[in-house]
Amino acid sequence: MTLRHSDLPWLSGAIIAGGVVGPVLLLVGLTRTDAATASLLLTLEGVATVLMAWFLFHENFDRRVVLGMACLLAGVAVLSWSGQPTLSDPLFYVRMLLVALAIYLVVKIRTEVLRMPQGDKPAAKTAIWRRAKILAGLSLACWMGVITAGRFLAYTHTWLRVGLPAGF
Amino acid sequence: MFTEPELAEPWEPWVRAAALHHFIAANGAWLWPIFQILHYFGLTLLLGTVGLFDLRVLGVGKVVPPATLHKLIPFGIGGFVLNLLTGIWFFFGFPEQYFYNPSFQLLLAFVGIAGVNVAVFYVSDAFHEVKLMPGGADAPLRAKLIAGTSLSARVAALVCGRLITFYRPPFFH
Repeated sequence: MTLRHSDLPWLSGAIIAGGVVGPVLLLVGLTRTDAATASLLLTLEGVATVLMAWFLFHENFDRRVVLGMACLLAGVAVLSWSGQPTLSDPLFYVRMLLVALAIYLVVKIRTEVLRMPQGDKPAAKTAIWRRAKILAGLSLACWMGVITAGRFLAYTHTWLRVGLPAGF
Repeated sequence: MFTEPELAEPWEPWVRAAALHHFIAANGAWLWPIFQILHYFGLTLLLGTVGLFDLRVLGVGKVVPPATLHKLIPFGIGGFVLNLLTGIWFFFGFPEQYFYNPSFQLLLAFVGIAGVNVAVFYVSDAFHEVKLMPGGADAPLRAKLIAGTSLSARVAALVCGRLITFYRPPFFH
C-alpha cells in the first residue's frame, strides 16, 4: 500500500501527536507523578490504544484483543488495590448496571431498528416503530437512572461512612 | 481570591428572612440531593437538545434538516426552567456560598452570554435561514458563529457549575 497525497494530513497529525506532543506531555507528566501511578497509567496505554483503534479507526476487534485488555485491566486492578475497602457503595454497581443496560439498548436500537429494512407493509412498519419507541423509552429511563444514581453517590458515600445527616 | 465583606450585602438579610431559606434549612438534608438530581436532568435536557441543534448547525449530522432538530428545543427550554428553579433553590439555601464564589460569578456570565446569543439568533435572520435549510445543506457562517458561541457558553457554564464546589468561600454569614 503506497502513501497518497491525501494521507498527508493524517500522517502529519500522527507524527505531531504521537512523536512530538505525546512524548513531551509524557515527560511533563512523569515529573509530576509518582512512579507507581505513572507505571499503572502507562499499562493502560495499551487499552486506550485498542479502544481508539476500535472506535475511531474501525480496526479489527476480536476475542484475543478482549482477553489482552482484560489481562491488562486485571493487572492494574491488582496493583492498585490499596488494601482498604473500596467500591463498597452498592449504588455504584446499580449505576454501572444501568450504564451497561443503556449501552445494550443502544446496540439493540442500531441492529434491530435502524438497520432493518422497513418493508412495504404498513403493519411491519408500525411494528418496528412500536419496538423502536419501547427501546428508546427504556434507554431514556436507564440514562435518567444513571444520572440519579451518579448524583446520589456523592451523598451515599458519606452516609455509608458516617450515617444519615440530621433531618432525615 | 476570597475577601469577606465587613458587612453583609443588603440582599443577604432579605434572603435569609425568606420562608424558602427556612424551609431549606429545615428540610435540605433530604431535599438537597433530590434538587441536585433535578438540576442534572435540566442540564442534560438543555445540552442534549440545544447542544444537538448547535452541532447540526455547525455541520455535524448534515443529513438531518435543522428544522427537525429544532422541534426538540421546547425540551431544552424546559431543562433551562428546571435549572433556573433548582438554581434559585440552591441560592436561597446558602446565598453567600454562591454569591461570593468566583466560579458561580463566571457561570452567571456564561449564562448571560448564552442568553444574548439566543436573542441574536432569533431576532436576526439567522433562525429563518437555518429553519429553511434542507437535509445535507451547510449553514451560513453567521449561524455557525452563533451555534459555536452557544455551545461554548453552555459547556463553559456547565464546567463553572461543577467547579462551584471547589471555589466555595471559606466564610459563612
